[in-house]
Amino acid sequence: MSVLPLAALSVKSPAGPAWEFLVLFLVVLIGPPLLEKARLPGIVGLLIGGYLIGSNGLGAIGAGNTTIPELGQVGLLYLMFVAGVELDLALLRVHRRAVLSFGVVTFTIPMALGVIVGISMSWSVAAALLLGSLLASHTLLSYPAVRDAGLASHPAVATAVGATVITDTASLVVLAAVSGTQVSGGSPSSIALQILVGLAVLTVFSLVLLPRLVRFAFRHLGTGRIVRYVLAVTSLLAAATVAQVMGIEGIVGAFFAGIGLNRLVPNEGPLMERIDFFGSAVFVPVFLVSVGMLLKPSVMVEPETLKLAGLFILASCGGKLLAVLASKRSLRMNRSEALLVLGLTMPQAAATLAATIVGYDIGLFDQSVVNAVLVLILISIVAATLLVQHTKSAVSPVRREDALGKRILVALQDTAQAPIGFAIGAKVAAPDGGVVRALLYSFRANAAIMEQRLSELHRDGFALGIDVDPALLVHTSLAEGVIDAAAAEQPSLVLVGQRSAAAHPTLGGPGEAVAAAISAPVAILLGDVERIEEVVLVRRDHAPDSNDGQVAAIAAELARRVGGRGITVYQLDSSRSRPDVAPGQLWIASADSGQLNAAPEPPAGAAMLLVLQPN
Amino acid sequence: MLLALRPRRGFGHGIERVSGRRFRWSGRPALPVAAVLVALTVAGCSNRNSSPAAGTFTPRVPGVLTVATALIPTTGFWDGTSEHVTGGFEYELARDFARRFGLHSVHVEIEPFQRIVSGHLDGADLALALISPTAERKQHLDFSDAYLDAAPTVVARTGTEIPDLAAAQQMRWGALRGSTFDGIISHLIAPDDPIRLFSHDAQIEAALEDGAIDAAVFDMPYAVAIARGSGGRLRATAQLPVDESIAAALPRGSSNVQAVNSAIHAFTADGTIDALTRRWVGTSAADAENSIPLLRTEL
Repeated sequence: MSVLPLAALSVKSPAGPAWEFLVLFLVVLIGPPLLEKARLPGIVGLLIGGYLIGSNGLGAIGAGNTTIPELGQVGLLYLMFVAGVELDLALLRVHRRAVLSFGVVTFTIPMALGVIVGISMSWSVAAALLLGSLLASHTLLSYPAVRDAGLASHPAVATAVGATVITDTASLVVLAAVSGTQVSGGSPSSIALQILVGLAVLTVFSLVLLPRLVRFAFRHLGTGRIVRYVLAVTSLLAAATVAQVMGIEGIVGAFFAGIGLNRLVPNEGPLMERIDFFGSAVFVPVFLVSVGMLLKPSVMVEPETLKLAGLFILASCGGKLLAVLASKRSLRMNRSEALLVLGLTMPQAAATLAATIVGYDIGLFDQSVVNAVLVLILISIVAATLLVQHTKSAVSPVRREDALGKRILVALQDTAQAPIGFAIGAKVAAPDGGVVRALLYSFRANAAIMEQRLSELHRDGFALGIDVDPALLVHTSLAEGVIDAAAAEQPSLVLVGQRSAAAHPTLGGPGEAVAAAISAPVAILLGDVERIEEVVLVRRDHAPDSNDGQVAAIAAELARRVGGRGITVYQLDSSRSRPDVAPGQLWIASADSGQLNAAPEPPAGAAMLLVLQPN
Repeated sequence: MLLALRPRRGFGHGIERVSGRRFRWSGRPALPVAAVLVALTVAGCSNRNSSPAAGTFTPRVPGVLTVATALIPTTGFWDGTSEHVTGGFEYELARDFARRFGLHSVHVEIEPFQRIVSGHLDGADLALALISPTAERKQHLDFSDAYLDAAPTVVARTGTEIPDLAAAQQMRWGALRGSTFDGIISHLIAPDDPIRLFSHDAQIEAALEDGAIDAAVFDMPYAVAIARGSGGRLRATAQLPVDESIAAALPRGSSNVQAVNSAIHAFTADGTIDALTRRWVGTSAADAENSIPLLRTEL
């Protein structure tokens, strides 16, 4: 019998990238669910896990490790990018007055309290300003719970969400300014000039140049989902680099890049889903774990740290409470709504952490401040979570009609109509940051053939810079299939493609059947046009409040979105003959059944969009 | 009749009014931003010394930063003599610390390296002597965050090539007694001949130039400084795959660690460390990590 040479076996202590990433991802995997079981936010699990694996804890990740902190920095950029890209700018516009007033108040009060706290502790002005700004920002950590309760469109919620833009932008501007004064030499005027020029360059790059570049790239490079995702990540890194080159913190650039790409990355689109996925799975957790690695419980329980944390909590949570109380009357909020807004604006996380880490990295804050801010973050998150849990049921949801371009369903029978259908969809969706979704109708017998055509739809969408995420609609009836799909998708507008008026009877055809069954506006697309050279709006005189008047308003809005300023109007009256539609034209008209029945067949190279009265 | 249509800003049907304009800030949000920029100027006017938010430094001798180091001169890091220090990276770093902490002078004390790393700072507030934090040293000292990355770097006579581990093993190696390099050479290179230990870096440099040894290991910035100061006779030939850094050592339990950390963060962020490296150690030291080849130590 041979003896196994066990003595010759060597077992090394684990080290290297594989070990470090294993430990990291175990924390990401196990940390949040463990804490959530204890009814605490998952973020706390990541922070504690980070502490445990870091050099202050069990030391699985050594103090000299740079990989995880650097990946954490990318996570921080990603977090700020997502904050910018997820903002609902349409909602922000609707409630702009309330957003503006509340945003200024909920930034100014905690900011002032933070500065007072800093100055009272003999901090430098720069440190006190940075403290004020980090206490004045907030992160919408409670928003998913509020959204899931159906309160996303509630004016109070929309106001709190919108105010985040003001608080976080202002906080990041202060951060840029303060870090500029600390990092660059020179006189205050030269530093102010540097920051102003830097912000101007960053604004032009992120809000003007970047969207155009990305739109161009989406059209010409973005024919695959991986490419589109990598383009988004490249954009955020490019904006962060431009910011750093101009002497501004990279997170400001990442946030601006998010706002710049806001319209190109619809919140409900596949690209946003992918951005969210990688952010939630990797980048953001890694950032939080890397922050946890800074935790030093021995410092956290020091009286000095606890004193600081107490003051920070008072200034931040107290400031947010005062802001809500100050705005309660002017925003006409009842007690529950006010508490809900407080629950939304109280959590401190993304911008707070970002500013704190930057403050630490530039030597403005020491570890006591970092740990005190971490205490503030934990307390504010837990308190806000509990507050929202208890108040959301007391606030009544407000039914808000979706914006016209929020979710557009383009139902086609013929892929030849895809370019014009998607072009109209993309233009209508753009102002609302909406998504366009394509459905290709097929009888069961033809399904296998039509499946192959989905790739054509994909390509047609990418050529316009949008991801239409096409699906096959297999049903015995086009109308019933679209009605079923509409029930699932809850579209804000349905375009039903019909190659020619002769294909179906327009009166009682699938378009009208869909319009009769769903509440969203429906438009029938007749014909196809390779390039829309002119948009013509057919107008008739209606009483504005009548059903016909409402449909006419939708038709006018569609014409305005598709044609921009260059649309022409065809005034229809009984004395006039039927219009002549010329190639290159897209005619848009409101239609009742009578008109549908008499709808002219557009000539080759021209199209008509007939808007129907919704149910 | 075709009429030019003025774009409408809304539509009915109970759907919210949404203008088609691109989202733009109105003028009013510029107000807080302007206020912030005014505040900036105030922040810019404030001096850039440490504030309590960045930790408080309490020197043992009021107004004086007492620094311990091992040897003067140490090429590029401590220039001049122990009686009259004329410059060097770590000396200037000490002066920057003093300025940031509002202290009026720097007092330098010389202690043997072995005594420093075993925790004997003899009244100094901190030690700056190319010290790498190790677990063993942390039992006797507190360390600041690193102010330089310092991968162990091989210095050899110009013209000596070390293409691979096998070649390295056949060479005669030297190291400073009490440093971490003895263990690093034994562990990573495992040379055929025993490692010669020296009491001072200057002795190692002389042994290299005389041909008594073929190669020695130093912290990267110091290796670059030695090569620079040798007039071309010595060269930083290869870096070893070990993460090492150089940090300030403070007495165990010192309350000044956070203030020193904040100062190092500030000096890294504002380019002070980089400028000191370029001035005293050499431009090549700042880029050494990318320019010195890595010696693979696993076959």
